[in-house]
Amino acid sequence: MSYQVIDVLGDVGLRAEGKSCEECFINAGLGLYSLITDLNLIEQKETKEFELSAETLEDLLVSFLNELIFIFDTAGFIGNSIEVDIENNIIKVKIHGEVFDPKTHERRLLVKAATYHNLVVKQENNHWIAEIIFDI
Amino acid sequence: MPKIDGTVRIDSYRIQIPKGFVSGMRTDGIVYVDEILEEELEVDSVRQVANVATLPGIVGNSLAMPDIHTGYGFPIGGVAAFNVDEGIISPGGVGYDINCGVRLLRSNLTRKDVESKLEDLVNILYTHIPSGVGSTGKIKLAPKDAEDVVRKGAIWAVEQGYGEADDLQRIESNGCLEGADPDVISQKAYERGKAQQGTLGSGNHFLEVQYVADVYEPEVATAMGLFKGQITVMIHSGSRGFGHQICDDYVRFMLQSSQKYRIELPDRELACAPFKSPEGQRYFSAMKGAANYAWANRQCLMHWTREVFLKLFKLSPRDLGMKVVFDVAHNIAKEELHTVNNKKMRLIVHRKGATRAFPKNHPELPDCYQDIGQPVIIPGDMGRASFVLVGLEKAMQETFGSTCHGAGRVLSRNQAIKQAKGRSIKQEMAERGIIVRAAGKETLAEEMPDAYKDISNVVDVVHNAGIAKKVVKLKPLGVIKG
Repeated sequence: MSYQVIDVLGDVGLRAEGKSCEECFINAGLGLYSLITDLNLIEQKETKEFELSAETLEDLLVSFLNELIFIFDTAGFIGNSIEVDIENNIIKVKIHGEVFDPKTHERRLLVKAATYHNLVVKQENNHWIAEIIFDI
Repeated sequence: MPKIDGTVRIDSYRIQIPKGFVSGMRTDGIVYVDEILEEELEVDSVRQVANVATLPGIVGNSLAMPDIHTGYGFPIGGVAAFNVDEGIISPGGVGYDINCGVRLLRSNLTRKDVESKLEDLVNILYTHIPSGVGSTGKIKLAPKDAEDVVRKGAIWAVEQGYGEADDLQRIESNGCLEGADPDVISQKAYERGKAQQGTLGSGNHFLEVQYVADVYEPEVATAMGLFKGQITVMIHSGSRGFGHQICDDYVRFMLQSSQKYRIELPDRELACAPFKSPEGQRYFSAMKGAANYAWANRQCLMHWTREVFLKLFKLSPRDLGMKVVFDVAHNIAKEELHTVNNKKMRLIVHRKGATRAFPKNHPELPDCYQDIGQPVIIPGDMGRASFVLVGLEKAMQETFGSTCHGAGRVLSRNQAIKQAKGRSIKQEMAERGIIVRAAGKETLAEEMPDAYKDISNVVDVVHNAGIAKKVVKLKPLGVIKG
């Protein structure tokens, strides 16, 4: 699990890492989901797919995370496994999970949006790091 | 010595951020803090006040209230006014939760009347008011309904039977901003808003049963229908996923607009467009739609609260007397008329974590408050207190008729959870006579009183600075959190 919470006064930040850009994005997505609920209690009953593009990798990360928030907010769908494929700033995403049930799943934070505030996506040697702040 | 290098204390309640603190500032910044709150000032939030001062068409100073903390682009607690002709509008100056705000209800009940039923009251309210992650409301908006909510705000809710027409006059802008165009709002926003009308949300949103603990201005309090020992209810919520999606859509849209209009941005979250441009008008119209959604939301939440009280206390609506004191927006941009250097100017005033505080005789106030000024509702943390203030003339001269909006955090959520380890916040609150219910596992730890600044310190600054006056202090008895 290569994501950790960054302390921000009013809200919550995440630092996600990975050996590839894809792994870094996956960890950011799982990190976001872990803010919402305990991922150990999520079962992989369904798969949801989507595709997005953006001008830069940073914008792609924000759009990707906001799409996960959108899907959760509208369909209640949340995953504990994500597959991504990134090429030319186009991301193809598959999420494996189920519809959130407040009776059986743990209720953590309601995340309003991923923001551009202090946004970082960078590669250091063969290591990718992303930092993102969420509005709570 | 100033806490932040480069700032200068003006008087006991204000510090100045002089032009040059960051490059490109068109005006000075001013932060309303006394020496106590200056200690908690973050350099990032001060820089944000300075960054706002670089935006085109800013009028007067870039301001921040004593509950200032770092936000995205604009600081929380920020107030900035722009000339409608040459100035900009920015979604970052409003925030993700468009028209997040507070409504205060009064009643004919006293503390004694509810004491024996308090636990039942909190439990029933908790069951009837949808709150927390994954909760959906009792209202499902068909596309036509959603458009009506966008156009009509709280009026839509009253038309559906949620509350009474009489409620509307005691809501800022009567609960409806005119000119919201349903067509400038994305399908995604409608999707998110479909099942969230009439829901409280989570985080710092709450519904609180309180009592009037102190009265500072008896005549003003009486005019608001408030008296010592009285039971009140405070509702803090906003435009939910509907507003969050509109903000997200328009921050992205405005990043392109900023390029198109060659506006240099020190921070991407300050993305903006000239107010008069098609892009600026498009966002303003969408923002109004989200503001209206939020007013409808608080109207519905209030209606169910009334229903619970009526049933539990077996009273007629007349005997319960649960009326709106006022409903204020604290994340919004409004087109207003202000006098600057003896000249009347039409301005677009951004209040992000700041509350409108118009004085008596202001034409935008309802008749019932013409003689006293606008009630300003300031929520505190769940253990200490909240306040009702009233707007003063000095706010028109110094802060575009604005004041603070709440306590502001001193601990991050993680720090709060760490400090709460091994403690039962629910039990601690019960020992103080406050019953709390929360949907989220960590909500009580994150929202514990120690996580916030003392609201009394914040309110004292605006009171002593003369931009709003303390009327009553409210203390919590029962709290529902998301």
